[in-house]
Amino acid sequence: MSAVTDLLQQVVEGLGSGAVYASLALALVLIHRFTGIVNFAQGELAMLSTYVAWQLVASGMPFWLALPVTLAVSFAGGMLVERIVIRPVQGAPELTVVIVTVGLFIFVNALAGLIWSFTVKDFPQPFPDGAIDLSGVRVDWSTLGIIGVVAVVMGLLYLLFQHTSIGLVMRAVACNPSSARLSGIRVGRVLMLGWGLAATVGAVSGVLVAPVLFLEPNMMGGVLIYAFAAATLGGFDSPVGAVVGGLFVGVAETLTGAYVDVIGADLKVGVPLVIILAVLLVRPQGLFGRAAVERA
Amino acid sequence: MSEPTTDRTEAQASAEPDFLKVSGLHAGYGQARVLQGLDFSVARGEVCAILGPNGAGKTTMLRALCGMVRGRGSVTLNGTELLGRSPEQAARLGVAHVPEGRGTFNDLTIEENLRVGAHLRTGPRRRGRAERAAVVADLERIYDYFPKLRQRLRQPAGSLSGGEQQMLAIGRALMLRPSLLLLDEPSLGLAPLVTRELFEIVRAVNEEERTTVVVVEQNAQLALDIAHQAHVLEAGRLVLSGPAQQIREDGQVAEVYLGVSVLSRKAG
Amino acid sequence: MSTITAALGTDRARRLRAVLTVLFAGAVAVGAPFYFAPFQVFQLTMVLLYAVALAGLNLLVGFGGQISLGHGAFFAAGAYAAAVMLDRYDTGHLATLPVAAAGCFLLGLGFGVPALRLRGLYLALVTLSFAVFLPPLLKRLEPVTGGSMGLTVDKLQPPAWSGLAEDQWMYFVVLAVTAVALLLARNLLRSRVGRALLAVRDNESAAEVMGVRLSLHKTLAFAWSAMFAGVAGCLYTWVIGFVSPDSFSFVLSITLLAGLVVGGLGSLYGPLLGAAFVMYVPSVSQDLSEAAPGVVFGLLIIAVMFVAPTGLAGLPGRVLGAVARRLPRTAAALDRTPEAESAPDAEPKSRTESGTSATLDPADPAVVDAEPVGAPPRTEKE
Repeated sequence: MSAVTDLLQQVVEGLGSGAVYASLALALVLIHRFTGIVNFAQGELAMLSTYVAWQLVASGMPFWLALPVTLAVSFAGGMLVERIVIRPVQGAPELTVVIVTVGLFIFVNALAGLIWSFTVKDFPQPFPDGAIDLSGVRVDWSTLGIIGVVAVVMGLLYLLFQHTSIGLVMRAVACNPSSARLSGIRVGRVLMLGWGLAATVGAVSGVLVAPVLFLEPNMMGGVLIYAFAAATLGGFDSPVGAVVGGLFVGVAETLTGAYVDVIGADLKVGVPLVIILAVLLVRPQGLFGRAAVERA
Repeated sequence: MSEPTTDRTEAQASAEPDFLKVSGLHAGYGQARVLQGLDFSVARGEVCAILGPNGAGKTTMLRALCGMVRGRGSVTLNGTELLGRSPEQAARLGVAHVPEGRGTFNDLTIEENLRVGAHLRTGPRRRGRAERAAVVADLERIYDYFPKLRQRLRQPAGSLSGGEQQMLAIGRALMLRPSLLLLDEPSLGLAPLVTRELFEIVRAVNEEERTTVVVVEQNAQLALDIAHQAHVLEAGRLVLSGPAQQIREDGQVAEVYLGVSVLSRKAG
Repeated sequence: MSTITAALGTDRARRLRAVLTVLFAGAVAVGAPFYFAPFQVFQLTMVLLYAVALAGLNLLVGFGGQISLGHGAFFAAGAYAAAVMLDRYDTGHLATLPVAAAGCFLLGLGFGVPALRLRGLYLALVTLSFAVFLPPLLKRLEPVTGGSMGLTVDKLQPPAWSGLAEDQWMYFVVLAVTAVALLLARNLLRSRVGRALLAVRDNESAAEVMGVRLSLHKTLAFAWSAMFAGVAGCLYTWVIGFVSPDSFSFVLSITLLAGLVVGGLGSLYGPLLGAAFVMYVPSVSQDLSEAAPGVVFGLLIIAVMFVAPTGLAGLPGRVLGAVARRLPRTAAALDRTPEAESAPDAEPKSRTESGTSATLDPADPAVVDAEPVGAPPRTEKE
């Protein structure tokens, strides 16, 4: 295998994991745009959704039926989380809200351990084995599948936000909740929708990554770090940025792990740290974010 | 449409003098009481100006009317109690508030801003073809009032000038087809010429749509030009009420409550 | 605010009470190791050293209004600094303390400079990534750190003249360091730095307008805070005599934050209560299930933020405050009347601004304790 095909091979794999980071980053960005907060429990909520999918499949449901059911459950779960956990501290100082999401992180993580134990579970691979060969570069069906699913999710979100009236209302709330209220929009309900949507998008990332990482309560911890790096790179206000950032982080991680001997597979998790620090030093608002917009 | 006279006090005699009725209104933030019991009424189809110095409680009063600030006492619109309702409920009852500092949706295009304003009419439960057509017609109507907006339908509201944003905010409020329009310091931060244009539009809207308007202003001269009735608010109390013309002509009042600027402007 | 102060008694009475409290607490602290069994003394020692880390975290979170999700990493850095010195260079135990402290201070500066230039949660992101990155890094640096196997070093040994058992001696040494650390934290808060921090926490823009050099103070607060964690880590090595990467996973960072929140953010003695939680909640609930500590901590954090943002330590103050507010309502209302005139027409702009109190005096512990991290949540979102 030539050096170039080898490089391309790594890039393809990087895009595969990048797509997963992108979808969790997208969930983070959605919440951030709606409520101005960073939801530290996003990864854990995705993990919980993945367990739901696992439970459904384990009880005999075919995967492609279990998936929509899981997404529906996640949507409802996200709305509930907003209503029960976040709404009471809505409007409180940022610090309070963040600590609540950290509390939720700890709780959900432990809850999954309580229900499903901390032992690793095998998650079914929804995509066929094998690969296609693109002039020497092996592209697994699973990689293609992951990228395809994430692309579909992005497309649906774009349609929702740009071409439906509920999407318009959601954007209005994200932009200026106070004026939205004055226009008669029930902001509380829209925020619930936003959380439900974010939980659904996050669930996609969990379900996609579970066959690769194996399912256990701490599965999403690492993914969350990469998603943070992706969102920071793309800009916490930009859904497009989340996707681009996710793909970039995925490729950067894979290439670093493969080609930089000092880093290697074990220290790859340093890549998001470096990316976050570099972005903060060079372009704090991220690639697609707006410069220093203060949320009042 | 009546003649654009400067004296409109006698122009419109309403059959419903208590269309908006405020009685014993108290309101404040936390422990700070800002309003100390206000009583006044606005007749249907009238423009009511609330004047007064900075910190008198004008903005607080408007916010109490639309549910942004909790108030005690009673505020009825066409007989329906407004106090104790959230802003979104107030909007559903036909109260459209244009907040100080405009409050446009800066990420959304101009047309999207206006469509959000019509959200209550196109929501999931009201998908009627007729209503949609009516919304499109209203968009046209708004563009007729504010021709500057028509030229930039696809531009984000954030790219507009201050005056244009104020126009957009009023346009958005009108898309609600409100029975009561609340304007909070529409002249704030705008050039005098722009302000004058804006007030003329508000007057036109009031005359053509028969929308009842309560406008809070520091620029007393302008507000009195378009108002039928006026009230002067000072330290949370109404210290003077009456027909706009009478308030304007009372030089002493102007001197005490509205500042010398009004007098000198009248002189000049 | 004045009614609360009145309820607590005059200044002199309070000072007297404070002195008595300190004397009593001192007597209990000194007597404890002679009363309890060695294992319990060991647990108390651990509570004390966690309290140092929490006091540092409290500087940052409770007073600085910033979040670190990686204090376990600074704890680990301090612990490893001490262990490596003891293992390779055979320095005495005492020599490791300043090195661990200074090293973590510098590390804190290094991460604080990029992360704290900006508003928002970037510090949380950076520290979280650091906490996740550190254990694999420690494993990689095997020649120095002993890799996954960790390092075993000498524990602190009692000198012959003391006549104390090992656990008692360690307890007293840690007690001394903790006392100094808590005093230092207290004095830091009463200094210019502390007042600046409080101002920044309550209203960042206002503080900046008033001339507080924001990023400098936030970065310094973070560096101090990291230093405290490093000192705690160093003590950990003295007491346990063993360090390994897996002892300092990301869970430790989360647990520290959880303990602090439950113990009481922004309170001077919250860290002690929180440290007890960090020590005892896992050891008590672990018997039920591996997941139980997490469930307990998670629910407690959320509950505390809902009902008592000042944590356990703030409860008495909040109760007093609530009573004081209820009783002399009419009197307070009369007092307020002149202020109503100056009440601004403009809406209270930021979420934090409503929590700002011009009369706040950080030098007064009662005030500090009674002031919640945030104002109680408002129902209206702006």
